[in-house]
Amino acid sequence: MVPQLSWYLALSAVLFTIGVVGVIVKRNVIAMFMCIELMLNAVNLTFVAFSSYFREVSGQLFVFIVMTVAAAEAAVGLGIIIAIFRNRESLDVDEANILKL
Amino acid sequence: MSAIFFILFGGLAIGCAVSMIVQRNPLYSAISLIGVLISLACIYVTLAAPFIAAVQVIVYAGAIMVLVVFVIMLLNVEEEERRSLRLRYLVPAAIFLAAVLVAEVTFIISTVDDSRIQQTHPSVSSNPSDVGLTASIGTHLFTQYLLPFEITSLLLLMAIVGAMTLARRASFTSPNVRVVPGAAVLPRHLIDPDAVADATPVEANTTAEAERLLGLEGAPHAREEN
Amino acid sequence: MDWNFILGIILQFVAITVAFTVVLMIVAYTVLAERRVLAFIQGRLGPNRVGYGGVLQPFADLLKFILKEEIVPDKSTKFVYFLAPIVAITTALMPLIVYPFGPTLTLPFLGEISLVVARFDVGLLYVLGVTSVGVYGIALAGWSSNNKYSLMGGLRSAAQLISYELSLGLALIGVILISGTLDLSSIVEQQSGWYGMRWNIFFQPIGFIIYLISAIAETNRVPFDLPEAETELVAGFHTEYSALKFALFFMAEYVNMFTVSMLAATLFLGGWNGPFISVLPWLGPIYFLGKVIFFLFLYIWIRGTLPRFRFDQLMNFGWKFLLPVAILNIILTATLALLGWI
Repeated sequence: MVPQLSWYLALSAVLFTIGVVGVIVKRNVIAMFMCIELMLNAVNLTFVAFSSYFREVSGQLFVFIVMTVAAAEAAVGLGIIIAIFRNRESLDVDEANILKL
Repeated sequence: MSAIFFILFGGLAIGCAVSMIVQRNPLYSAISLIGVLISLACIYVTLAAPFIAAVQVIVYAGAIMVLVVFVIMLLNVEEEERRSLRLRYLVPAAIFLAAVLVAEVTFIISTVDDSRIQQTHPSVSSNPSDVGLTASIGTHLFTQYLLPFEITSLLLLMAIVGAMTLARRASFTSPNVRVVPGAAVLPRHLIDPDAVADATPVEANTTAEAERLLGLEGAPHAREEN
Repeated sequence: MDWNFILGIILQFVAITVAFTVVLMIVAYTVLAERRVLAFIQGRLGPNRVGYGGVLQPFADLLKFILKEEIVPDKSTKFVYFLAPIVAITTALMPLIVYPFGPTLTLPFLGEISLVVARFDVGLLYVLGVTSVGVYGIALAGWSSNNKYSLMGGLRSAAQLISYELSLGLALIGVILISGTLDLSSIVEQQSGWYGMRWNIFFQPIGFIIYLISAIAETNRVPFDLPEAETELVAGFHTEYSALKFALFFMAEYVNMFTVSMLAATLFLGGWNGPFISVLPWLGPIYFLGKVIFFLFLYIWIRGTLPRFRFDQLMNFGWKFLLPVAILNIILTATLALLGWI
């Protein structure tokens, strides 16, 4: 049988949930960043599924822009992570709980 | 046939995602995320969106994740240690909510039948979707959606400048003074930690002059860059 | 299940097997050709003992690689250590399926067969995407060997690859602007006729030079092979690999060379086009392989002639010279295409 649109939406929901669980559970800040990327990808899947099933191009164009924003966010976010690591010598977010270095 | 591809790549995506949050070594998490990205690209191909699939592999799996893997290797990130749970009552709650999610997904896949109110699957041969082809995306990107495209390029420029500024070594608190000739005026107490905080600026045209003015002639120099 | 569909799948598998076998044989003999040609450039003879003139040397090498002892470093991360050569060889072999080896042949009994394994809309982007994922083979190999030479070599090599990937992609945009399609078979078909004067190298000379330099850097060849040069970093990212895994890296490098040569021949030199192609279409693969072998010889010739770049010179050249020239090439090509001259 042919996959319905709702199947793709269910897969996207499961991936998004796994991403949220990862952001909450993980203590390494790079792992948290990667779970945020997983959430963005789940949303991309929703956009592409809608765009393909309804023969509308705007969904895929928005995916294009989301990918660009994710690339920009990755560059700046990893720069911030490197700066934090240089000052604190640790990537554990539970230990970064006061403003003083 | 499409159902087999969906189950295969969807299962692979979910498996790699679960592996990503279970692994303690961040490099293995990164490799699992690359697996998720490539399975999603395969799903996009089955959804008749080949351009987005190729862009996903080139940009996400081939550039963003390379950046993440580089950072993990350069910072030599270690494994997370196991720590005991402090909120033990959340574990049954989590299992219950996970069961609710699985029940919802099973309900959606088995019961919902929207084949009468929506169009056919994008890859079916009688009415294939042609919005995913490069020509279609290119046309719309440069005519109808030109403004988001230009704003995105501006966003990328901001990201480049931001990343370069963040990753530069800031030597304001070290005894080595790097003065760009004619550009920077630094308050003294930022450079010499023993100095009393006063607002009289120190202007210099060369690094040697600045060191002479501050009395730091013998300070070791940072690595010379040519 | 309709039998046409299953027959189609079986034919695709046969086509893939034939393509891979042909390519792997050519790659094996490229290794031998490199050793002989390099030897002649350097004034010596090279391997000529095994078989007549050394023709059986690749099989002797293969036997040696299989029978050698596998040494796995003790403190390495085992999963990543085993994954890296697999990623390297897979991403090296994957782009082969989109290249058109010849025009559509009409055989007397089997009907029409097309000499490209898979033809789809975004063939060129697929090649670029797979090349991007190939960076992981090198970076993970350098990291997982738990050896500072490997790590330095791996990170340097990966940084070099991602830097020159940009100029490679931008150099190809000029070709895409002229052809108006990303499909490699269409690009080759648009270069036919007019006695070879419609080859893209005449319309994109700057793009061709940029592509050639970026391709040499992408495959880690001299003059860009500092990350794996023997005199510099022991052997770079594949220091700790022995026997069959080293053979996989070695083969991956030569298959990469072959892939970029095929891309150059397809996009710039007209692919399977040549004299008398319309009356004798089976000459197509011969012309195509001839052009690819010319590029492989060019690689070996450059290896024997030029010294190697230092790493900071290499990165300077890639970012500060090649990338702006590639962008200017795109602007120039787009202007000429808009004016209708191309």
